[in-house]
Amino acid sequence: MTVAVEELTVRYGRRVVLNGLDLALDTGVHGLLGPNGAGKTTLMRVLATVARPDGGGVRLLGSAIADEKALREVRRQLGYLPQTFGFYPRFTVREFVEYFAWLKEMPAARIPVAVDRALERVGLLDRADDRMKTLSGGMQRRAGIAQAIVNDPRLLLLDEPTAGLDPEQRVDFRALLRELGVDACVLVSTHLVEDVAVACERVSLVDGGRLVFTGTPEQLASAGGDGDAGDSAIERGYTAVLRAARA
Amino acid sequence: MTDFHVADADLLAWAENRLAEPAAWSVEAHLDDCAACRSRVPTTAVPPAPMDLPPQGRVRRATRARRIRLLIGAGPQARVAWFSAVAVTVLLTLTVGDRVPHWLLLLIGPVLPVLGTAVSYGRHTDPLDELVASTAYGGLRIVLWRTLSVLAVSLPVAVAGGLVSGLGEPAVWLLPSCALTALTLALAALTGPAVAAAVIGGGWALLVTGTLWSPEAGAQLVTGGTTPAWLAVTAAAALIITYRREAHR
Repeated sequence: MTVAVEELTVRYGRRVVLNGLDLALDTGVHGLLGPNGAGKTTLMRVLATVARPDGGGVRLLGSAIADEKALREVRRQLGYLPQTFGFYPRFTVREFVEYFAWLKEMPAARIPVAVDRALERVGLLDRADDRMKTLSGGMQRRAGIAQAIVNDPRLLLLDEPTAGLDPEQRVDFRALLRELGVDACVLVSTHLVEDVAVACERVSLVDGGRLVFTGTPEQLASAGGDGDAGDSAIERGYTAVLRAARA
Repeated sequence: MTDFHVADADLLAWAENRLAEPAAWSVEAHLDDCAACRSRVPTTAVPPAPMDLPPQGRVRRATRARRIRLLIGAGPQARVAWFSAVAVTVLLTLTVGDRVPHWLLLLIGPVLPVLGTAVSYGRHTDPLDELVASTAYGGLRIVLWRTLSVLAVSLPVAVAGGLVSGLGEPAVWLLPSCALTALTLALAALTGPAVAAAVIGGGWALLVTGTLWSPEAGAQLVTGGTTPAWLAVTAAAALIITYRREAHR
C-alpha cells in the first residue's frame, strides 16, 4: 500500500476535523470527494507531511515516518499541490519549478531536463521564461502541477487541481492524470464530481471527518436513485451516499 | 564485398545531406554492405539543424552554485536583508554627522539578523511556506540556510556599527548578533518566528535602553568581558534548536 491511514484524528483547537478516518490507496488515480469542510484539505495536508495527526497511524510508501531520515526519504518521492499557493515575485516559471526540484533533492544531473519535461507535460514550455506574476490563474495552477510532478513522485497529492482551468485544459489534465496514475499513486481532491467520473479509477467520499464511501465511480453512481438530487448518475449517487451517512 | 566504392565528394555530400534522393539511396545501400566506405564517412560533417525547433530559452546548468543561488537567494528574506542593509548604511552616514546618537546603532545593529530571520519563514511572510514544508529540504534545514544568508549580510553591518559608534570593540558586535538570532530560532520552535523576534528584539531594546544612564554600561554589552556570556547563550540556544528540531518540520 502506498498510503495506509488508520483511525486518523486531527483537531484544530476543540474542533475535530478528522475523526478516526481509515484510508488505503495503491497505484492509480483516486478521487477524494466531499462537501466543503468535510476534512479533504486536512487529509491532504497530513499525507503531504505538512500537518501532524493528533491520533492514529499514517504509513506513506511503506514507511511509518518514525524519524527525520525516514521523513526526508518520503518527501523526496512526494508531489503536492495545495489548494492555494504563492510564488516569489522574481521567479520565472522555469525557476519556480527548478526551485522545487532542488528542494526535493533531485540528482543535479537530472534537473534541467526534468524541469522542462514537467513544463511540457502541463503545456507551459512556451511560457517557461515568463515571470510567474504575468501568468493567468489557470496557468499558475498548471505551474503548480508542474512543480508537483517534476520529481516523478510515487505519491502525488493534488488539492483542487482543476480550479481555474478552462474546459479544454481540464480534458488535457485528465489525460495527464491517467498517464501519471500508471506508476504513481495519485490522490485528487475535488468538488467537481464529473472530474472523478472521467479520470479516476476509485473514489473515496469523506464527510464529517470520516470515510463514508470507497469504490469505483460506477459503484458510486449505482448508489443513487431517481429520487436523489443531481444532474448525473454519479451526482445522484453522491447525494444518496451523503444522505445515508448522515441519517 | 564489392570493388566499387563511393567517391569522397559523394560521401561528404551524403553526410551533409546535400545528395539528391536517388543518389543518397544508392550510397546508403552501398554503406550497408561496405565497411571500408562506412569508415570513410566524414565525421566532421555537421548535419543541418532542424529549423522548426522552438528556442530553448534560459535553461540553467544544474551546478552547485546554481543550487546555492536558488535555495538561499529565493526566500523572502533575501530582499528584506538587502533593504535593511541599505537602511543601516543610511543610518551610519547620519551617525557620522552626529545627528543620531550612537546608542541607536547598538540598539539596531545586533537586532537586524533577528528581524531578517523572522521574515525568512513561516506562513505569514513566505508565500511558498506550505509547499516548501512538504519537501525534503523543508523544516529546520531551509530555515538554517536562510538564517545563514541573513547573517552573511547583517554581521558586517553590525561590525560597521561598532566601528562607527565607537562603543565597545567592533568584532565583539558579532556575538550578540549571533546569540540573539540563535535565541530567536530556539523560541520560534515554540511561538512561531514573528512572536519570537518580537520577544527577543524587545528584550534587547530593554537591555540597551536600560544602560542609557551611562554610556560605559552600554559599551559593556559589546566588549571582551561579555564574550563568554554571549558564547554561552549561543551554545544554549543551539542546543535547544537541535533538541526541538522536530518542531520545525
